[in-house]
Amino acid sequence: MLSPYRVLDLSDERGVLAGQMLADLGADVIQVEPPTGSSGRGVAPFFADHPDESIYWAAYTRGKRGVSCDLEQPRGRELFLQLVDSADFLIESSDVGRMAELGLNYDTLHERNPRLIYASISAFGQTGPKSHYVGSDLAIWAAGTPLLMTGDDDRAPIRVSQPQAWGHAAADAAGGVMLALHARHQSGMGQHVDVSAQVSAAQATLGQILAYQLGASEPERFAGGVKSRGIGFRVSAAVKNGHIVLNMAPGPAVGHFANHAVQWLVDIGALDASLLDENFRTYADRVATGDADPGLFPTIQQAMTEQVAKRTKEEMLAVSIKYDLLLVPVLTIVDLAESTQLEARDFWREIEHDDGRQVTYPGPPLKVFLNGESRAGNEGPPPSLGAAQ
Amino acid sequence: MTIANGLPEDAGPLAGLKVLDLSWIVAGPTVGRAMADFGASVIRVESPIRVDTARVVGPFHGDQPSVEHSGLYGNVNAGKWGLTLSLNLPEAQDIFRRLVMWADIVSESFTAGILARWQLDYQHLRELKPELIMLSSTLLGQTGPYNQVSGFGSQGAGMSGVQHLTGWPDRAPAGPFGPYTDYPAPRFALTALLAAVDHRNRTGQGVFIDQAQAEGTLQLLAPALIDYMNGGRALNRRGNDDPQMSPHGAYPCRPPEGRTESWVAIAVATDEQWRNLAGMIGSEPEQSLAERQGRQTEIEATLSDWTAQRSAGEVEATLQAVGISAHKLSTTEDAANDPQLAHRNHFRRLPHSLHGETVLEGPRYILSDTPAGPVRPAPQYGEHNAEILTDVLGLSDAEIENLAASGALS
Repeated sequence: MLSPYRVLDLSDERGVLAGQMLADLGADVIQVEPPTGSSGRGVAPFFADHPDESIYWAAYTRGKRGVSCDLEQPRGRELFLQLVDSADFLIESSDVGRMAELGLNYDTLHERNPRLIYASISAFGQTGPKSHYVGSDLAIWAAGTPLLMTGDDDRAPIRVSQPQAWGHAAADAAGGVMLALHARHQSGMGQHVDVSAQVSAAQATLGQILAYQLGASEPERFAGGVKSRGIGFRVSAAVKNGHIVLNMAPGPAVGHFANHAVQWLVDIGALDASLLDENFRTYADRVATGDADPGLFPTIQQAMTEQVAKRTKEEMLAVSIKYDLLLVPVLTIVDLAESTQLEARDFWREIEHDDGRQVTYPGPPLKVFLNGESRAGNEGPPPSLGAAQ
Repeated sequence: MTIANGLPEDAGPLAGLKVLDLSWIVAGPTVGRAMADFGASVIRVESPIRVDTARVVGPFHGDQPSVEHSGLYGNVNAGKWGLTLSLNLPEAQDIFRRLVMWADIVSESFTAGILARWQLDYQHLRELKPELIMLSSTLLGQTGPYNQVSGFGSQGAGMSGVQHLTGWPDRAPAGPFGPYTDYPAPRFALTALLAAVDHRNRTGQGVFIDQAQAEGTLQLLAPALIDYMNGGRALNRRGNDDPQMSPHGAYPCRPPEGRTESWVAIAVATDEQWRNLAGMIGSEPEQSLAERQGRQTEIEATLSDWTAQRSAGEVEATLQAVGISAHKLSTTEDAANDPQLAHRNHFRRLPHSLHGETVLEGPRYILSDTPAGPVRPAPQYGEHNAEILTDVLGLSDAEIENLAASGALS
């Protein structure tokens, strides 16, 4: 869909996903690196059989072309500026102020190519009191507020073990430049898109970042569930070979799933059939008015915990589908690699690297059909260092 | 054929773009919200019977749960026009088809197969309107053996690997906060939809997008997946440990008055940063990354003793001043008072007919020449039924009465 457009991608490990999203939609994306290679080539993990080659960098440069140029030297700058003349988008994620030092900030390049859409991805934004803070996945997650909400309540808060913060920000940059493209269709002019990873991380709070200002109580962290006003609701349960996520709660929005769970527990003989008369969509209201037994729901939770513990993830997924429960297995990396769902959706890609190796990658995040026909984006290998392609 | 908008148009890069938003909870509505911020006319079709979960999840105005009090619902639906429709009724389906003729984009997140039952899926709608752009967004996608798995995003955290990868290695997975797949998914969908509009305007071709929200989250786990699938190891949850930074974690600080805990995030990425930190906390400065990782327990104990005597804000300022990445773990009160978020005008206040005023987040990026944001709060139940049925579809009062009598609106 984006085949008419060219992207000049100067980003390092902090912004490298943005250009790939555009490449997956068909844009011609040129990854620009210094002759010594991007700092992103030093980010873990590394290929088991090629310990000098960053998997992180390969993961997010797949589908791009590559060019190396030294922006501190006149020849490199000239090559780069020629690329700017034919580019629709430029994406960068360097330390705030670095592009100005190089004489390549938005104002300068806008003068040269007024149609250029220029995105800057940084930890806190291009201006403001924290714009020169040193960012990191963990500090951004802390500043955006999801970090304090995550983890066991008797230990320190924790992040996701595969760093996430820069990915959220880079993905926002891709949306931002597309909005700027539509603005360019109106005005003929490019503009500067300023992405703050702190703001992007706030998306991962489910709107809770607004709690204080709405007069609501602060969210509290609670392992395997959520805690509200000191009461924890566990949504994780142990099964024979791992864990499942299980949402079972009374209430108008999800109570029918609890009704379905009761049906299963009755069918397997773990609960008495008389419990089928209870409706958990209205239960909480009736508990409040004294018309239902507050001890009933905990009994059902207890029965559920005992029964799932005797079964495997796979068995419980089958039950979930048959009875329409809010229950899924907690998949590991190995489970994902072996997922029949992902296989059926043709998710994985075998891509031949420049040295002839076949490497397995996750495919694009969406399936696109033009006039009903499936259409792929750019799915070439990650560019080798120094290969002007 | 272009149908007149019928709704008052907002300014912005997407002015004139018409979106019919049937999606619910968070992942889908967030996409329509972003388009509304930038000028699109977005009609949100909501079931008057089945409550949108976002309406019953907090944070609530005044901490009082109610379907019209949810800050989450408000945050992901601001700027939209609200219509209630019981889509299982033929009368409502007829209204919906007429709205499809109005729309450039249809966005939906029903369980795969539901819309087909009503002949309102893409295959049927493209017969009505070949140039239609449609997003179908579900947890696991439209196809595959598990396409029916009903899921809120917290199921998505399990099915996308994030649940397993968040926690301590010696304990059960803690999981991320909330329905994690709802966070990356809207970014991928928004980008693709805006590309689709551009493509349709150039070529006249219609576009269908099948989004599996879990596959969006897998993009953010790609390094771990590629590692395992190409002969490497399978990543496991590892607390706050990082293979290339140490110390790296959240450390306890002196809590402010009225709170029982406070934390600061510290990420030491280089030997030089470590030497600076070691000098402050009284640890051995000449230690490589591997040595620091080897003595992690001891170093973290020393570091925690030092942070515990200080406020999180003080540690943040002290470490940032010498070039070490640090930030307090902000509470939502801290976020409300964060000078950086204030500088970016991140929190927006809008007049609200029930609450007097409501607060929500601004866009996730600042566009220098076309700054934007929500211009009206999220619709209350059926708030704009009259405007939509009269001004967009041109129904007479009698036709609206008949429609209401059929039960299609309530």
